[in-house]
Amino acid sequence: MKYLHLVLRSLFRSRRRTLLTVAFLAVSVFLVATLQSILATLDGFANNPNAANRVAVRHKVSLTNLIPMRYQDWIRQQPEVEATMAIQWFGGIYQDPRNFFANFAAEPEPIVRIFREEIVEYTESEFKDFLRDRNGCIVGKSLADKFGWKVGDVVTLQGTIFPMNPRLTVRGTWKSKRQADEQVLYFHFKLLEEGVPRIAGRVGSFWVRAKNADDVPRLIERIDRHFSDALEPTQSETENAFQLNFLKMMGNIAAIIHSITGAVLAALLVVTANTMAMAIRERTTEVAVFRAMGFTSLQVLGILMAEGILLSLMGGVGGIALAWLGAGAIQQGIGSVIPWLADFAIPTETLLFCLHASMGLGLLSTLVPAWRAVRRPIIEGLRAL
Amino acid sequence: MNGEAIIRCEGIAKSYFRDSLEIPVLQGLDLEIPRGGYFALMGPSGSGKTTLLNLIAGIDRPTGGSLEVCGYRLNDLDDDELAGWRAIHVGFIFQNYNLVPVLNAFENVELPLLLQPLSRAQRRARVLEALALVNLEDRMWNFPRQLSGGQEQRVAIARAIVSDPRILVADEPTGALDAKNAEEVMALLERLNQDLGKTILLVTHDPKAAHHARVQIHLEKGVLDRTVEVNR
Repeated sequence: MKYLHLVLRSLFRSRRRTLLTVAFLAVSVFLVATLQSILATLDGFANNPNAANRVAVRHKVSLTNLIPMRYQDWIRQQPEVEATMAIQWFGGIYQDPRNFFANFAAEPEPIVRIFREEIVEYTESEFKDFLRDRNGCIVGKSLADKFGWKVGDVVTLQGTIFPMNPRLTVRGTWKSKRQADEQVLYFHFKLLEEGVPRIAGRVGSFWVRAKNADDVPRLIERIDRHFSDALEPTQSETENAFQLNFLKMMGNIAAIIHSITGAVLAALLVVTANTMAMAIRERTTEVAVFRAMGFTSLQVLGILMAEGILLSLMGGVGGIALAWLGAGAIQQGIGSVIPWLADFAIPTETLLFCLHASMGLGLLSTLVPAWRAVRRPIIEGLRAL
Repeated sequence: MNGEAIIRCEGIAKSYFRDSLEIPVLQGLDLEIPRGGYFALMGPSGSGKTTLLNLIAGIDRPTGGSLEVCGYRLNDLDDDELAGWRAIHVGFIFQNYNLVPVLNAFENVELPLLLQPLSRAQRRARVLEALALVNLEDRMWNFPRQLSGGQEQRVAIARAIVSDPRILVADEPTGALDAKNAEEVMALLERLNQDLGKTILLVTHDPKAAHHARVQIHLEKGVLDRTVEVNR
């Protein structure tokens, strides 16, 4: 601790250089923390423990191919099945394409049963009204709040996949544990069938709820085996796997984010190493004087390393603070456009990763120039004026 | 020389290597400096005076011969032991003062004490004492850039003596000073030698500065040319 003032004073020897380096580090760490948190949020979405006993059944060829509604009768009879629901991604636009949110045409009765972990707080009477009204819809509370919808309001969706623009009356809202689960609108599948006769008797997928999570693999295998020889074979998968595949349609996000993180960290290393190399090189004589006074190489190395690590930590902590402060804005901003990010937060693991990465960068970037400085003969250092 | 030698060089040799070329700087030099002596090393450029000073101060190693300073045979000490030895026994005064620019006078003087097991209060007392000796207590919160060249060198002298070393080595301590400041610095060194009994070894080209020493050692091409006692 008695060297702390020495480290701090040396760190701010060139105030502008130090502040610029810290600012660069902070922005970079902010970027890394945010990107990694996006990945963690998406990962959490595709690893939802609540979805453990839910299975998505779709056409084997593609999500855009429809499967016969009658398949549901057989699936419902399986001993492991608690409930099934036909559900179709509608992909409608509300007023403006930027107002993106998930909207589905679904069989209304089983919705709450299938998604009971998500639809946790709702009014019974509102949901009964929804069941009765074929032109009704139910929406997550966050989504309703975002657009200022209230029960009784009429919401018109503009179809992008199907040639119909349903006028839906908001019949009820629900609250969930996660904001992302409140970014959804459901309306009657029958309405879609009536509006688009060509799909009558067919649907994009079935959501199946198994009685036990342990039954899920067996159920998946049995469903797909049963329909394997049918004209429209199925592909069943856990809801998490389905979500993951859906996310993958946006590209290999994990690889992209990891590549960007790697590039940012490499750039950080170069910039910090350059700063520290300059800071140490211009103190060649000073290092020699310290050693002449009796400081051992290890002590001088420790002081220089502490300086480098402190510099990186300042940038790291600054970046983490930025990311933490910015998380709310990202949740509100991007989360409203990309529902998967509605629950965006900076996980503790990401904070720790950034903190350790900052320290590691400081260590790596300072080690070589500091080591070279203390290995230089004292008399050479004293001559280096 | 008498038997109370604090510095004893026997057949000291030092060569530098430039690629495969050996450049001998000191060639079998014998020298004894008594405790409390004030010696000026003189000679033309390349005569080996700074090299000899560096060897005696333990910041360079001889390539031959034996070197004993303050009762320690420096040839036998490893780098860390030598660093510890320097911290206790040697104070350095450089031509360009070499103060740490981001530390004020007090903190610069305090630096060598950080290596010793002293409390903050003890360090403070020692620093104030050293600054009082060089008459700079009133400038202790000034940074080097806020001091004149003479004041900077006096802070450097305070730093050199604060840990109470037995030997002070000074390499051209007046080289960057005007005549008045140079005279003040030399008078200060003389006082440290006479009042505190510090053994001083000074490298200088300046005959006026050398005149403050009690003995002038003249080197020529790496060997002892002559020793002159200064009559005052």
